[in-house]
Amino acid sequence: MMVRGFQDFGMLKVAPLIPLAPLIASVLVGTTGHRFSRGASHWPVLIGVALALVGSVMVAGTVYFELPYEYADTYRLYEWIAPTLVTSFTVSFCIDPLTGVMLLTVCAISLLVVIYSRDSMRHHGHPERGYERFFAFLGLFVFAMCTLVLAGNFLLLFLGWEAVGLCSYLMIGFHYDRPAAASAARKAFLVNRVGDFGFGLGILCIYLWISPLTNAWDNPLDYAVVFARVGDLAPWQCTTIALLLFCGAIGKSAQLPLHVWLPEAVEGPAPVSALIHAATMVTAGVYMVARCGPIFAQSPVALGGVAVIGAVTAILAATIALAQYDMKRILAYSTISQLGFMFVGLGVGAADSAVFHLYTHAFFKALLFLGAGSVMHAMGGQMDVREFGGLRRVLPVTYATFLVGGMAMAGVPFLSGFFSENELIHAAFGFHAWLGPMLGGLALLTALLTAFYTFRMVFLAFHGPQRIPDGVDVREPGRWMRVPLLLLAVGAVVAGYAGVHPGLGGFAGVIAPNGSFHEYVRPVLSPNTTVGADASPAVGHGRYLLMYVSAVVALLGIAAAYVLYVRRRAWADAVPAAMPTAHQWVHDSCYVDEVNEAVVVRPLRRAGVLCYATDNFVIDGFLWLITVVPRIAAFFLRELQGGSLQGYGLTMTVGLLVILVVALLAN
Amino acid sequence: MTDLFARWILTAVIFVPLIGVVMIGLMNARSHALIRRGALLASFATLGFALAALRLYYEPTNAYGEPHWRAGLFALSLRVPWIGDPQLLAGVDVAYAVGVDGISIWLLVMTAALTPLAIWASFSGIRERIKEYYLLLLLLEAGMLGVFCARDLLLFYVFFEFTLIPLFFLIGIWGGPQRRRAASKFFIYTLAGSVLTFTAILFLAYQAYRMPGIGVFTFDIEKLYAVGERLDLATQRWLFVAMAAGFAIRVPLFPFHTWLPLVHTEAPMAGSVLLAAVLLKLGAYGFLRLIIPMLPAAAIEFAPLVAGLAVVGILYGALAAWVQGDMKKLVAYSSVSHLGFCMLGMFSLKVAGLTGALAHMINHGLSTGALFLIVGVIYERYHTRRFDEIGGLAFHMPWLAFFLVFFSLSSIGLPGLNGFVGIFLVLVGAFTSSSTLDGNSTGPLGIAYAMIAAAGVILSAVYMLWMCQRVLFGPLRELTRTPDRSSGLTTDLTPREIAILTPLAVAALAIGVYPKPLIESMQPALQEQVIAHVLNRAPDWPVTPVIPFAAAAPTHAAVPSDGHDASDSSERRPEASAAHRTLAPLQAVPARAETAGSTASDVGGGV
Repeated sequence: MMVRGFQDFGMLKVAPLIPLAPLIASVLVGTTGHRFSRGASHWPVLIGVALALVGSVMVAGTVYFELPYEYADTYRLYEWIAPTLVTSFTVSFCIDPLTGVMLLTVCAISLLVVIYSRDSMRHHGHPERGYERFFAFLGLFVFAMCTLVLAGNFLLLFLGWEAVGLCSYLMIGFHYDRPAAASAARKAFLVNRVGDFGFGLGILCIYLWISPLTNAWDNPLDYAVVFARVGDLAPWQCTTIALLLFCGAIGKSAQLPLHVWLPEAVEGPAPVSALIHAATMVTAGVYMVARCGPIFAQSPVALGGVAVIGAVTAILAATIALAQYDMKRILAYSTISQLGFMFVGLGVGAADSAVFHLYTHAFFKALLFLGAGSVMHAMGGQMDVREFGGLRRVLPVTYATFLVGGMAMAGVPFLSGFFSENELIHAAFGFHAWLGPMLGGLALLTALLTAFYTFRMVFLAFHGPQRIPDGVDVREPGRWMRVPLLLLAVGAVVAGYAGVHPGLGGFAGVIAPNGSFHEYVRPVLSPNTTVGADASPAVGHGRYLLMYVSAVVALLGIAAAYVLYVRRRAWADAVPAAMPTAHQWVHDSCYVDEVNEAVVVRPLRRAGVLCYATDNFVIDGFLWLITVVPRIAAFFLRELQGGSLQGYGLTMTVGLLVILVVALLAN
Repeated sequence: MTDLFARWILTAVIFVPLIGVVMIGLMNARSHALIRRGALLASFATLGFALAALRLYYEPTNAYGEPHWRAGLFALSLRVPWIGDPQLLAGVDVAYAVGVDGISIWLLVMTAALTPLAIWASFSGIRERIKEYYLLLLLLEAGMLGVFCARDLLLFYVFFEFTLIPLFFLIGIWGGPQRRRAASKFFIYTLAGSVLTFTAILFLAYQAYRMPGIGVFTFDIEKLYAVGERLDLATQRWLFVAMAAGFAIRVPLFPFHTWLPLVHTEAPMAGSVLLAAVLLKLGAYGFLRLIIPMLPAAAIEFAPLVAGLAVVGILYGALAAWVQGDMKKLVAYSSVSHLGFCMLGMFSLKVAGLTGALAHMINHGLSTGALFLIVGVIYERYHTRRFDEIGGLAFHMPWLAFFLVFFSLSSIGLPGLNGFVGIFLVLVGAFTSSSTLDGNSTGPLGIAYAMIAAAGVILSAVYMLWMCQRVLFGPLRELTRTPDRSSGLTTDLTPREIAILTPLAVAALAIGVYPKPLIESMQPALQEQVIAHVLNRAPDWPVTPVIPFAAAAPTHAAVPSDGHDASDSSERRPEASAAHRTLAPLQAVPARAETAGSTASDVGGGV
C-alpha cells in the first residue's frame, strides 16, 4: 500500500472529473436553469453524467489492465482539515477494483435514470414544476455518490456519505408541498443521522487509536494507513470500530432497526426511488462494510452481528412486503430485504459475492422501480395494485421489462439475480457450525418469499381482468422512458454472466460460479473473502446442488403466486380475512414507527418542553428571587428618603451623635 | 510607510466606524437615503481596512520570503501609554495597546464583514429614528472591533462593556413589543457578571503590583499572563470564577443563558445578527484570550466542569430549540447549543479542539448571522415568525428556500460546508483530549464529553430540519394581507437581500471545502498563545503562593504529568517561538519561562 501525490496519477488523472462533471452540470442547471435551459435542463446533467461514465470506464479499465493489485493506491488532492499542526486529513482518492465496480454501476444506472427522467418528469409533454431543480439534484447526487466511492479516507467517505443523505433528503421532499413528502424527507435525514452518529464516533475512534501507530505526516484516516495498522489494535478496539462503522451502514442501508425511513422514501419521484433508494445510495452501507473488510475481518463478533442483522432484516422485510399494496412500497421493502442479503454475505465472509449481488441488484431493482414509475405515469399517479390490474395488454413494453426484472429478482435461473443470490445463500450455509445453517435457512426462506411477493405484484398489476381508474388515459411511456427500461432489462439478464464462468459439469451442465467479476474485486476484498476463494471441488459440488435447490425454490414461489393471484384469487383474499390481526400487523410494518414515536420522539419532545419550562420558571425564577432582595431592601429604605426635611435633620443629628459617642468611647 | 501603515491599521479599523458616527451625526435626520449610504460606506470602509489588516498579517515573514501566517505571533501592534507611567515604581500602567494574532484576526474580519451586511439588511426594516439607529450600529461595531484588538486588559474591558450601551438602545428602541424588559434584562444580567470580571481584573493588576519584578499596576495582558500563572491554585480558582462570571453570561454558558432567547426575540434584525454573530463570541474570546492562559491551573481544574456545562448546554439548547413556536427563538436556542460546542472544544485544551472552537465561532457567526437575516426577511414580509401562522413558503419564495436550507445545513454540520469543520474539530479535540496526539501533554477531558456532544449533532438536525419543514414545506399558509410588499420588498428575495446572503453562502462553502488557510493561521497562534501557557509543564511546575488565600499546597494534582509521546514528539512539536514572553528580566520566574527578546511580541507590521 502506498500513498502518492496527484502528479503520479498517470492515466487515472481523469478521476477528479468523475464527480466534478455532474457537479458542474448540477450547479449550472441549478443556478441558471429556471432562466435559460428550463425544459432542456436534462441536457447538461445528461452530458455531465455521461462524461462521468466515460471517466469511470477509463478508471475501471486502467485498474483492470494496468494497476498491479498490490497497489491499492491513495491519491492526495489537497489538505482539508488539520487536527494538529503536523497531521492533516486530506481529500484523497482511493482507486482500486472495488472503486471501479462501484463507479461503473453508479454512473451507468445514473445515466439511464437521467434519460428516463426526461419523460418521466413531464406530464402531457410539459415539464413538471421544478423540472430544472430535479436535474440539479440528480447531478448533485451523482457527484456525492462518486465522491463516496472514490474517497480514499474515512473523512471524505463521511462527506460523500452525508452528501448522498442530503440528496436523498432533497429528492424525497421534491414535492415539498405534500406534507407526507416533507415529513418523509426529514425522517430519512434524521434516521440516517442516528446511524451517522455511530459512524462518526467510529471515525473518531480510528483517529484516536490508529494515529499513535503511524507516522506523524500520514493521514491517520487514509484507508491504506488504517488497514495496514488495524492488525496492531486490540481485538476489542477492532470490534468497537467495526460495530460503530456498521451503525452508519445500518442507517444508510436501511437495516433493522433503522430501516423505517426507506419505505417512506418512495414519496420521491420514481426515478429517484430507482436511483437513490434502490440501486446506488442505499448500497453505500454495503460498499463501506466491504471496503472496511480488513477491520471487520479482525472481529468475528462484528462479522456475526452483520450477518445476523442482515438475515433478520431480509426475512422481516420480505414478510412485510407480502402484505403491501403500493407497488413502490413493495419494492422498497424488497430493497431492504435484498440489502439484508448483501449484509449476510459480508458477515459470512463472502464480500465478493455481496458486491456481486450489489451490482446485479442495481440493474434489476432500478428496472423494477422504473417500471413501477411508468405504471404510475400511465395511471396518473396511482400506485395501489388494488386500484388497477391487467395492464399487460395496454403497457406491453413496461410489462415485458418488468417481468424480466421480477424474474431476475425472484431468482429464476439464468438471470442475473439467480447467480448472485445463490452465492450468498451458499456462503451462509458454509459459515459456521450452527449459525451458518440457520442463516442459510433464513436466506432460502427469504428467497422463497421474494419470488412470491415479486410475482404477487406482477400478477396483481399486469394479469387478471383489465381494471383502469376512471379518467386515466393509459399510454405506453415515451421513447426516453422505454429505452432505459429495455437497456436495464438487457442488463438484468446478462449482468450476472460477469460473475460466472463456463464450467463443464456446473449448473445445468455449463455454468460455474466465481467468474471474472470475482477475480477482479477479490484482491481488494480478500481479507473478508474466506468462502468464495476456495474453489475446491468438494465445496464446488455442494454449490451446484444448492443452485438447483434455489432454482426450485424460486420457481415454487412463482408458482404459488400464480395459483393464488391468477388461478384462485379467492384463496389469496381468504388469508387476510382469516387472520386480520396478523395481516394488519404485517401491513403496518409491525408498528416499528409507532414504537419509535413512543419511545424516542415523544420523550425527547417532552424533554424539550421541560428544558424550556426550566428556563422560564426555575432559572428565571431564581434570578427573580435575586432581584427581589434589593427590591425589598429598597422598600424599607425608601421610607428614609421621604423628602421631609425634619426626617433628614433627625437622621443627621442621630448619626452625628452616634459618631460622637463612638469616637469618645474609642478614645 | 508600510511600517507606519501596519502600526496604525488596527486603530484605523476601530476608529473608521467612529468617523462614520461623526459623519452621520452631522447629517440631517430627515435625509434617510444619505444616512443609510453613509453608514453603509463607513462600515464597508471598515471592512476594507480589516481586509488590509488581514493582508498585512499575511506578509512574507519567513527567511525565504514565502507567504506565511506569522507563526502564532502578535502583529500590527501599537502601544501608546494611556493612564499612568510604567516607569514609575508603584505606578499604574494602562496603555492603548492593540495587536492581532491568528486568533483575533479572523474574528476581527468576521465582525467587519458582518456589520455592513447587517446595516444593509436594515434598510427596509427600520423606518423610524433612522439616524440614531445607524449611529448606534456603528458605535457597536467600533466597540466589538476594539475588543478583538485590545492588548491591554483595561482597554479590553472598556470595549467589552462599551458594546452593551449601543445594543441596549438598539433593543430598547427598535425592538419588539417586550423590548424594554428585554433591554433591561440584557443590560443588568450582563453587567452584573461583568462587574465581577472587573473586580478580578483589578485584583490581577494588584497582584502584578505585588509581584517582584513588576511592581506596577499593569494591565498589559502579556505581563498578566505571567502574573496569573504564578498565583497559587486557590487564588486562581477564585479569579477563575470571578472572571468567568462575566464571560460565561455573555457566551452564554448553561445555565446563564436565559437572557438570550428573550433578547433575540425582541431585538431588531441587525441587533440579533450582531448579537449572535459577534457579541456572544466576545464571551468565548474572553475565555480563550484571558481566562485559560492567565489562570492555567484553574483552567485545567475547572475544565471538566465548564465542559460539562457546555455539553449540557448543547443538548439543552437543542431540545429547547425544538419545542419553540417562534423561528427567532429557535435560532436563539440553537446558539446556546452551538456555543456549547465552542466551549467544549476550548476546554479540551488540544490543538484540534481549540481550532475547532475558534473555527466554530467564525462559522456560527456566518451561519447564524445568515439565519437571523433570513428570519428578518420573513418577518418583514409576514409580520410574524410563528410556525403556526406561516408555512409552505418555498412555493413562492424559492430563493428564500434555497438560503434557509443552505444555512440550516451549514448549521447542522454537513460536511463540505463550514459548520462541519468546526464541529468535527471540536469533537476530535474533546475525543482526544486525554491523549498526546497533538504533541502536547494530556488534556483534562475524557471521551464521554465528545460522545454526548456528538448526540447534540443529531439533535441540531432535528430542530433545524423541523424548522425548514414548518416554514418552507407543506401547503402554503400565510396570514391575510401578506406578504407585505411595501418599501420595495418583493414576494421572493429582493436583489439587495440576495446580495447580502450570497457572500455569506460563498464564505460558508469556501470554508467548508478549503478551510486550510483558516486553520493553518489559527493553529500556531492557539498553540503559542493558549496551549503553551497551560499544558506541557514540567511535573514540578512551581506555583508560587504570592498571597495565600487558603492554605493550599503549592503543588497540585491538576498539573498534568509529563505525558509526552516520546517517540515522535520532537517531530510534532512546532517551533516554539516563545515570543509571547515579555518578562525576561523578571526575578524568580519559574523554570519554564524560556524567554526570548523582551519586545519580541511586538513584531510590528510590514517588516
